[in-house]
Amino acid sequence: MRLLIRQLWDKFFTGSAVVSILLMVLALVLILGPMLVRGGSAVFFRGTVEFRKMQLALYNRGDVDEITTESAEVEKSRQVIFDTLNHFRRGIETEHLIKRARKFYRDYGDQLRQQNTPSEQYTLLRSQAKKIRNKLCDAYESENKNQVLENLDFVIQQQDNSDFKGTLLEELFVLAQKYKKVVQSIDLTRREQYAQSLNEVQEILRQLFGPLPGEPTPSLALFQYGATRWDLAQKYLHRLLWKEEWIQIAPDKPLVRRELERKTLFAGTELESIFDEVQNNLPVMLQPHPTFYWQYFIDDHPPGYYFGGVGPEIIGTLLITLISMLVAIPLGIISAAYLIECAGENIIVRVIRTCINTLAGVPSIVFGLFGLAFFVLYVLPRFHMASKECILTASLTLALLVLPVIIRASEEAIRSVPRTYKEASLALGAGRFRTFVTVTLPAAAPGILTGIILSVSRAAGETAPILFTGAVAFAEVPRSLLQQTPALSIGSYVIATSDNVGMNLPHKQYGMVMTLIVLILCLNIFAIWIRSRTSKKLHGY
Amino acid sequence: MTQLQTSDANVEQIQIKTTVNVQPEIETNSAGNTLSRSCPNCYVIAAEDFSFYYGNSTGVKNITLEMFPCTVTAIIGPSGCGKSTFLRSINRMNDLIPHTRAEGRLIVNNHNVYDKRTNLVNLRQQVGMVFQKPNPFAKSIYDNVAYGPLLQGIRNRSRLDPLVEESLRSAALWDEVKDDLQKSALALSGGQQQRLCIARAMATRPKVLLMDEPCSALDPLATARIEDLITQLKQNYTIVIVTHNMQQAARVSEYTAFFCLGELIEYDKTGKLFTNPIKKQTEDYITGRFG
Repeated sequence: MRLLIRQLWDKFFTGSAVVSILLMVLALVLILGPMLVRGGSAVFFRGTVEFRKMQLALYNRGDVDEITTESAEVEKSRQVIFDTLNHFRRGIETEHLIKRARKFYRDYGDQLRQQNTPSEQYTLLRSQAKKIRNKLCDAYESENKNQVLENLDFVIQQQDNSDFKGTLLEELFVLAQKYKKVVQSIDLTRREQYAQSLNEVQEILRQLFGPLPGEPTPSLALFQYGATRWDLAQKYLHRLLWKEEWIQIAPDKPLVRRELERKTLFAGTELESIFDEVQNNLPVMLQPHPTFYWQYFIDDHPPGYYFGGVGPEIIGTLLITLISMLVAIPLGIISAAYLIECAGENIIVRVIRTCINTLAGVPSIVFGLFGLAFFVLYVLPRFHMASKECILTASLTLALLVLPVIIRASEEAIRSVPRTYKEASLALGAGRFRTFVTVTLPAAAPGILTGIILSVSRAAGETAPILFTGAVAFAEVPRSLLQQTPALSIGSYVIATSDNVGMNLPHKQYGMVMTLIVLILCLNIFAIWIRSRTSKKLHGY
Repeated sequence: MTQLQTSDANVEQIQIKTTVNVQPEIETNSAGNTLSRSCPNCYVIAAEDFSFYYGNSTGVKNITLEMFPCTVTAIIGPSGCGKSTFLRSINRMNDLIPHTRAEGRLIVNNHNVYDKRTNLVNLRQQVGMVFQKPNPFAKSIYDNVAYGPLLQGIRNRSRLDPLVEESLRSAALWDEVKDDLQKSALALSGGQQQRLCIARAMATRPKVLLMDEPCSALDPLATARIEDLITQLKQNYTIVIVTHNMQQAARVSEYTAFFCLGELIEYDKTGKLFTNPIKKQTEDYITGRFG
């Protein structure tokens, strides 16, 4: 080949090598970058006063006085909203007003009887009161504004009647007057709509601010607090301001999503003002501050993933990985040593080697099923233990998964130790075992450690083998090897397949994945550091 | 130190028959008194019709010779003539290579090395070997030299330390490394590493020292130092050295064997072999007409 062409080829190959490395780095950044950034938002975010309240109540963290002052401030700023809301609701919800009217009527009857009114007067007064009551109830139920005003006016006129002065019926007059005020500002025909929209608004306000004042504390921790994060609060705010509707534009086409400003639904009422109020004053109402929630890595989480951190998952993953490595590494190295040093070159050894190489490529779910069938259902009963999934079985299954990789890497490493090393040792009179342990193994250590690094990464991130052999989604930190445990990979799977959890809490999903990536990164860095130290000793610096 | 043993106590004394008429020399000093060259260890290495095969091809064939105690014997010859094979057979290092077999007898200190009952660990502690390329362990200098004695069961530091110092002194390495014995052996230069390997081999107090082209990977200065070392060592050890370098063989050895194509062509005193060889093949090789 001519020199020029050779040089061109050389440049081309160098160029494509550089390009491919850049592409790999780019792919890595594109895949891992967003995950790490969004996962980071599980640790670094703007937390609201609700978050601090929750931390205090669930984990006993934070300054009690500070939080109490903050809560008081926040309550004050929110009170305006709630007052408007209550007022409007009282106007709309006439059911209980009707009930109250009826109650007053009954109490009035009791009052009359107590006063021992003569029976004719009693009947007369009662029938009059009944008429007033019915008019009032009609006024409450009717949607025709004129009719309502007519009835109310009638009731109010009755106030002048001296018979009813000082009696319970005066309450009815008060109710009538209040309602008159309300009616004058509301479009009664839309009362049904108002009721439904009001419920929606109340629901969103509960999501934002927690239970409304006057409501009983809900039993689920999830509903006891409002929006704990500023980004979530923004999402709820958007939902408050804009209502989502699905409109059919043509008979055969699918529905189209449209957004409608919720303000317009309450046009003309007093409720219209609260939307702007909430939008402008939300920071005051929620007091978001940048929060560094490093306890994310330690905290337990109540079922549902809404609050808390991934502490138990981290412990579970580390425990399972560690135990499986403790089992797999000695077994792997000894098997590799046997295959090279002691086994001959016959057909059986070749078959064993082929099997090991094949096992390295078997899908992990097969290992999971095997672990379930063998360890859980067969081995545990043999030892007179309950046939239950536990950390032990999960670790053993994972150990089987990584064993072929370790055997293969160790074999290559041991085989690549130069024969002169062994010869030097043997020539001094060392036996074969002694030579292996003192000379061959330390020389093969970097290669073996590479195999171990690869296996650790694989074992920490595998989901299928531990899925039915010992990992669950919600459990406490395990106290014995015979219990079940949560794990990071299982947690990610469960969040992804759970109803809406991933959609509503993206920071939790990304947070768990980011934790897994960071954990594996740390394990790898540690193992690489060990390998470089061994390597340095081998080369003499 | 333990004697070379076999597990069977009754071993016949083996009569050594050599076809070459060579007798060990008895030196006299200027006053005419004999300097007794009686070696404290009268190990004699003898081969009786010894052959070695790698699979189907021959390594060496029908070798019969005797090497005398406290002498330096050089084995020379062209590449591939079986020198290293023969040397490695003496301490059974060829066992590492699969599919090999040996025929005939190879006798060290009146015991057949290829007997099935031979204790290899013992044999290798009595017959030390230095290889072509220096191969120190990836440990410190001290640990390298102490490896052999540790195998023999000497764990006491008060006994190991003087042993290590003595071995390093005999290998002419002590002055250069005495300041830092914990330094990694791989940080030494090539010549120093080879001397370290010699010290390591001597730490087990072997009776025989086998050297497989010890200076081929070294520069002339280091070569000269090692040759001096060999001349010093021959007072107390039987040394067999394989070399490509005829001048080295002439300088260092007392007896020389010439191998060619797996067979022993000639074995004689060095002076006689190089000045007045019997066989024509030897003469051709020495004068450079082939090989």
